[in-house]
Amino acid sequence: MQVERRTLLRKLVCSLRGRMRMKTVTIKQLLSFSVLAFVVSILPAKSYAELPVPAHITPPVGEHESPIVPQPIEFPHDRHVNDMKINCMYCHTYARRSKVAGIPPTSKCMGCHKVIATDKPRIQQLTEYWEKGESPKWLKVHDVPDYVHFTHEKHIRKFVFDEKFPVEDVQQVCGLCHGEVRGMTVAEKKKPLNMGFCQRCHEANGGPGDCWACHK
Amino acid sequence: MSVKVNRRKFLKMLGWGGAGTALTGCDLPTTVTLEEGKEEVVSYLMPEEYAIPGIGVWYASTCTQCEAGCGLHGRVREGRVLKVEGNPDSPVNHGKSCMMGQSTVQSHYNPDRITSPMMRKGSTLQSVSWDEAMSALTSKIGPDSGVKGDRVGMITGTVSGHQAVIIDELLAQVGSKNHYVHEVINTSVWSSVCRDMLGDEMPKLNYDKAGVILSFGADFLGTWISPVHNMGEYAKFRKGARGSLIQVEPKMTLTGGNADLWIPAKPGTEGALALGIANFIIERGWNAVDVPSSIAKTLNQYTLTAVEKVTGVPVNKIKRIASMLTERAPSLVIAGASTENHENGYDAVASVMLLNLIMGNIGKTIEASAKFPEKALRAKQGNTKDLLLLAKALKDNKLDVLFTYNTNPAFTAPAVLQVSEGLSSVGFKVAFSMFPDETTLQADLVLPIHSGMEDWGTHVPAYQPDTSSVLSLQQPLMEPIHKETRGFGDIMLSMLKLRNKNFGDFPDYYSYLQTAVANMPADVTGSVEGASKDIWSNVLQKGIVKAKASANALTPKLVDMKFKVKHDNSGYPMHLVPSARLGLWDGRHANIPWLQEFPDQIAKVVWGSWAELHPKKASELGVKNGDYVRVTSASGSIEAQVYIHKGIHPDAVSVPMGQGHDEFGRYAKGRGVNPLKILNPLMERRTGELATHATRVKVTNAHKHEKLVHLGGSETQVGRKFVKTISVDQLRRTEGEA
Repeated sequence: MQVERRTLLRKLVCSLRGRMRMKTVTIKQLLSFSVLAFVVSILPAKSYAELPVPAHITPPVGEHESPIVPQPIEFPHDRHVNDMKINCMYCHTYARRSKVAGIPPTSKCMGCHKVIATDKPRIQQLTEYWEKGESPKWLKVHDVPDYVHFTHEKHIRKFVFDEKFPVEDVQQVCGLCHGEVRGMTVAEKKKPLNMGFCQRCHEANGGPGDCWACHK
Repeated sequence: MSVKVNRRKFLKMLGWGGAGTALTGCDLPTTVTLEEGKEEVVSYLMPEEYAIPGIGVWYASTCTQCEAGCGLHGRVREGRVLKVEGNPDSPVNHGKSCMMGQSTVQSHYNPDRITSPMMRKGSTLQSVSWDEAMSALTSKIGPDSGVKGDRVGMITGTVSGHQAVIIDELLAQVGSKNHYVHEVINTSVWSSVCRDMLGDEMPKLNYDKAGVILSFGADFLGTWISPVHNMGEYAKFRKGARGSLIQVEPKMTLTGGNADLWIPAKPGTEGALALGIANFIIERGWNAVDVPSSIAKTLNQYTLTAVEKVTGVPVNKIKRIASMLTERAPSLVIAGASTENHENGYDAVASVMLLNLIMGNIGKTIEASAKFPEKALRAKQGNTKDLLLLAKALKDNKLDVLFTYNTNPAFTAPAVLQVSEGLSSVGFKVAFSMFPDETTLQADLVLPIHSGMEDWGTHVPAYQPDTSSVLSLQQPLMEPIHKETRGFGDIMLSMLKLRNKNFGDFPDYYSYLQTAVANMPADVTGSVEGASKDIWSNVLQKGIVKAKASANALTPKLVDMKFKVKHDNSGYPMHLVPSARLGLWDGRHANIPWLQEFPDQIAKVVWGSWAELHPKKASELGVKNGDYVRVTSASGSIEAQVYIHKGIHPDAVSVPMGQGHDEFGRYAKGRGVNPLKILNPLMERRTGELATHATRVKVTNAHKHEKLVHLGGSETQVGRKFVKTISVDQLRRTEGEA
């Protein structure tokens, strides 16, 4: 799968917006951003090798085109996942324990960012939240209706732990429903997460077909 | 060309059509998925180790929906309480809870909660800051206000534990004795009789040990004493050697609906029926305990035919009850609202208790209860006598300051007592309240309090069902939803600090409770595991303290019984039964949609009031289900839709309590009628309680009709035999049982 140019462009714009919010942008920087943006737009797109699908899973079928959700901080998933090789479950630590994967607590972000990249505007924005004693108000991207009881814990157990699938490759499993997060900044919804999508996967992988398994 | 579609074809088409819609529907993103970026999701700043989003943590607390004091466990997820269940460690409810307990969440999250202090400015209540509210409180009742003595009063519902202690302390500081404790649904007359005849106000009842229960209007499965506890005991009573339940009452209650034998005695004559049964038992020599000749002589006049004449209960039924009591001994004979709340209620309950005495039930099915060692913490049980006293004090203009907490006298008092009008004569009325109910909106200062799930407290149930007595801790299940509400204890403590420096050591009610509970004597906290410094955290965890109880024995003795009550009832041929039910209770839960939605256990009506009439009376009046009738007493009248039901005495009309609120939020306001409003101001003669079941009325056709909203639709099977029945005789013949 290829990472689209627009992802790179968006990263540029995101970083510009971050700086504008911090009021640290100068005319000179603005100009150089435009030039950079132009250069990026004519460059051939950067590409990743497509994530392999774990052998024991028949992947669910379905695509979804998502609008980009403007988050309070343009959190770069790609930087953390792809460049730093941080495991999904390091931050979304509740995924293996609970029905929700959880947004990492601000204290977890600050665990690293007290010392790392403190000069970056987005980190300064984060530090500002931390010092005020507030958490950023993120906007939900992946959600199912209240009458659907989806649980991360059962899916992780079945597809990762029961199969002795290497935890370091867990993004191959997460990606089946969440798309290639390593190529995104803020999370985007890439799969429809509707009943047809779930049902087809349940049929292909031997998940429960009983209404009451999900609708309680 | 016409296409013939019959029923079968139509259903077939509908089936295929439906399946098609369902299958394509699975993949429709617009209808089954949620839009991205519309809802916020906020992470923890610094999570506690045990707080995992999506996984509930259970905390122990105490239910405050009625006075029974059931222990609760509340499930908290992401800082919000979602669901409550009973606390299995509580001897009151053994892990069970009723619909009122379950619906606590709807009281807590109710959109009509008062969210800031309000003060009367001119004729309206206006939002003010806490500073302004507290300085008004200080200037009106602080040490420099000059207010003291009996011109200060406080009316509350049943209170116990440390809330009772701080109320006592505040009134003692002011020098007032006027603590009015008011509940419409109470057992005051029963308690008075138990105190006088057994030496214990709230004896322990062993339903499970009884072979037969004879209940004179005690709706013990619904509204009597400790309903959830009673339900558990009732289940044991029915298991194994199945006990029999006989219910005597003018209007079928939930308990009556479960009875094997349901007897509608003429309202107000239950005492005579009890004496008739007693007389027959003594005549036959079936009594287990000898009866003094003086009593036997009084009983002599209650012959079977005389009793039949007075009560309308046929001789053979009286005989049958007497023989059941004898054959299935030990029995348990109890009395509730429809027997207690007459002018001769005390005498009636005393004659009911006489049956227990002569059948030798004392010590078997009725035992001395465990009393909590700390007297000051024991429950102060609500009654209606205090409501009458308050009405009198208001009428005589004897109060300058009145506090109200956990009670709504402007709603529950009969109109003729003029409590609402009387309140305007009080100079300064302070309401501790969660909701804008009738009493609160008449106050001069409204102090918004935490819900039962946000506040601290301790509760000592009035009815102690175990061999050790119990104190139940109420702890917050979550942070207060509204920023401007405060705990009742916290507000009381800040008032106490104005006059007594000793309370200055406690920054809040929490620290007061913590100190008080941890420092209780060993006979109270002895059962709590762990060293003394751990007592508080262990109590928080369990929610229950089981205290040692002194061993008492009941001391049975007889009291005089006089029955003559004569009134000129011409023009008012019917008896009004203001019935109570588990659910809306006395009206305090009318703002909870779940409980409004919950159909009445007998009439199955939802969201409204109705007047229950016997089919005979209905045909006399020419009314059918849904027609309006006017119920008129000497003190007023109300209109309600008719519900026709055989489970009521032909001379009685029953209108349930709970509805008829003029205020009290969007779900309660302007819905149905309040039967308490038209009660005559009659008193039970010995105890001074309001005789709520003694009012006589006339019922007239109001010539109006609307569809009666109730579950069930039809009362009959319209001859279609959905449920097949067979008579006992036929069963014996065909199934060959001897």
